[in-house]
Amino acid sequence: MKTAYFPGCSLKTIDRAYDVSTRVIAEDLGMTLVDVEDYSCCGAGELKGEGIKSHFLPARNLAHLINQGETEVMVSCNVCYHELSRTAYAVQKGGKNLEDIQAMLKDADEPLIKEQPTVRNTLEYLVNVVGLDTIAKHVKVPLTGLRVAPYYGCLYQRPAKMVSSVQIAGEDTEHPHFMHDLMAALGATVVEHRAETTCCGGKNLLSDERISGKLTGRILSTAKTSGADVLALMCPKCAGGLDALQFRAVGMVGDTAKLPVMYYTQLIGIAFGHRPEELHVGDMESGSLDLIRHFLAEPAIR
Amino acid sequence: MAKGSGIIERSLLEDDQIMEEENLVMDGIDISGRWNTMLKTRVHSQRDLDSWDEVRASAIGESIDNCIQCGMCTAGCTVAQEIPAFNPRQFIYWVRVGRKDDLIKNADVIWRCVGCYICTNHCPKEVNTAEVIESIGQWLRTQVPEKMDPAYRANHEAYRHQLETYGRLSLPRLQAEFLSKLGRQKELFGPDLRQAAVKMLKDGRAIKTLLIGRPRHWNRSRFVLTDSARA
Repeated sequence: MKTAYFPGCSLKTIDRAYDVSTRVIAEDLGMTLVDVEDYSCCGAGELKGEGIKSHFLPARNLAHLINQGETEVMVSCNVCYHELSRTAYAVQKGGKNLEDIQAMLKDADEPLIKEQPTVRNTLEYLVNVVGLDTIAKHVKVPLTGLRVAPYYGCLYQRPAKMVSSVQIAGEDTEHPHFMHDLMAALGATVVEHRAETTCCGGKNLLSDERISGKLTGRILSTAKTSGADVLALMCPKCAGGLDALQFRAVGMVGDTAKLPVMYYTQLIGIAFGHRPEELHVGDMESGSLDLIRHFLAEPAIR
Repeated sequence: MAKGSGIIERSLLEDDQIMEEENLVMDGIDISGRWNTMLKTRVHSQRDLDSWDEVRASAIGESIDNCIQCGMCTAGCTVAQEIPAFNPRQFIYWVRVGRKDDLIKNADVIWRCVGCYICTNHCPKEVNTAEVIESIGQWLRTQVPEKMDPAYRANHEAYRHQLETYGRLSLPRLQAEFLSKLGRQKELFGPDLRQAAVKMLKDGRAIKTLLIGRPRHWNRSRFVLTDSARA
């Protein structure tokens, strides 16, 4: 199964863990990922104030996708997913905004968007297109006994009108559950908690350490006090605050915010029998490698 | 107790608008106790509708006219829970009644939106509230740029500069530019970031970051992004 794939800047560099784990499990599942060529940044949610120009970078990527003969693209990074979905929605609505988008592409000597692109999130693609039964069949090391707290963040399920998870796959925009279902299919114990879709303040990660520390602290401590061993997430921007800068959250709310954090794709990779090194679990800054090594070494808890 | 603390949406009122009386007798009836807090009448005679024109003309603000002021956006807002003065419903109200003075007075909080899109998702009238707020913020940036908190301005400028120049985002480079704009470059080598930097040098991620490159014929795209004639 050939699938177009957009990794984005972050996954190409410091968040390779998310990219590599996506590719590893895709290969196991018989998917052939084809990268969008000559990619640019998606805008990272930071150019919204520019009005119509905020659509330029995502449109450039979507135009390249269409030019490659594909109309559907799978995206792991939630920020890229949001930006590309937002522009695909503007394309679908048409009118003056679409005309302006095409005019910008023309001025930049880029191909125009000749067909309606569809933007899919890797999580919803895995559950809805590949299917949980197929995924369950690939499990070699069931995550039995590992208590996983799913964390969706914001942009996977919001705004409902723009995203494939809700529009195509029928995800619940208030209480998303695909990651719950997926983790259960891997044999993990799913820990439900009240911060599954609260915001981590990632947009203000640099500019407002107090608020982002408080918001990430709330998510981590809620998951931990609900009994989680590990928080499974799906967004590199969230990972910035929840994993790499977890010390800020701990500084704000105390040790209840100390919790290993991993990309859900890494957990799938572990369940599929891959070594943690292959999945760059060691890139995570929150003690995830120790947790996974301990989990793999102690059959008693499995 | 703080003045007028029992008032719902207290954060929206200035101190001098609230009248509290120890003993209040009206028309010969003593209404002291629970009924001794009053609000002064405000008369607003000068409407300045520039902001409204600007926002509704923008590709991100055009849905502002659908707003029915129900407040669902603000009820769910992530930032309002932390900063009570951040009130999306009221920002929209002020734009539509032309209260430029109030918008300017509260400009410093409008840029604190975290972009979680709960407001847009809650809106029953299809206002893309998150982006309308962004649009109002952009208009305020042209009016009172000096009111923007230095860290927010540095963040805003660093992202734009990085995206326009390179077309791709190198997070270490972004962080370096952000910190140097604030004169905090020392933190790059501080204990918090040093450990992560050494790890990335060792495991090869630093090299990948340096080699991120630019998209092909980026200069054309750069021109489109920076063209000030394009709204």
